[in-house]
Amino acid sequence: MKTKITFYRNQLGMTQEELATAVEVTRQTIISLEQGKYNPSLELAHKITKVLKKKHIEEVFKL
Amino acid sequence: MIAKPQWFKRRKYFGWGAYPATWQGWLYLAVALVLIAIIQFIPITSQLKIVLTILIALILIVDTAIIMPKLSKDERDKKHEAIAERNALWAILSVLVSGVSYQVASSAVRNDFSNVDWFLVAAIIFGLLVKAMSNLYLDRKD
Repeated sequence: MKTKITFYRNQLGMTQEELATAVEVTRQTIISLEQGKYNPSLELAHKITKVLKKKHIEEVFKL
Repeated sequence: MIAKPQWFKRRKYFGWGAYPATWQGWLYLAVALVLIAIIQFIPITSQLKIVLTILIALILIVDTAIIMPKLSKDERDKKHEAIAERNALWAILSVLVSGVSYQVASSAVRNDFSNVDWFLVAAIIFGLLVKAMSNLYLDRKD
């Protein structure tokens, strides 16, 4: 799954560690998500979208 | 429970259980090991030594069993652990089934089943039951 997590995270000046803490996962999970290696659950995708201040999941995650 | 979950980290790559992550965790483990060592040298009967050693080992095992579910795991960790546990189970099952099959086959040839380890047979049957019950529970749950 392709994501724009890195792009939006950098826009907010947020580190991987800060994002990981905000959505209650490990930094390694954020790294895997950003590299498109791991497909998140709907719940985690929602949380990340919210923390990155986006309205729709599709803005952050793309199949 | 004597130990606290924040003293430990989940063992990720090898084996099951947890390992100390803070000095309190290391102190807890060291105290347990020193106590076990001291017990071996104090002038008491060997039976009492065994009982006391088993008691401390039990405390360690129970503490680990209580701490493990409390150690933080995110969804990716849980998925990885589930896959690793499944693979480990298949490895264990392969060895168990091969061993029991060999025991039953060789016993059948001699017509003497006293060499079959019925605990191993029970372990396989119990595993099958737990799997069936888990599937049933999970199907009804979601």
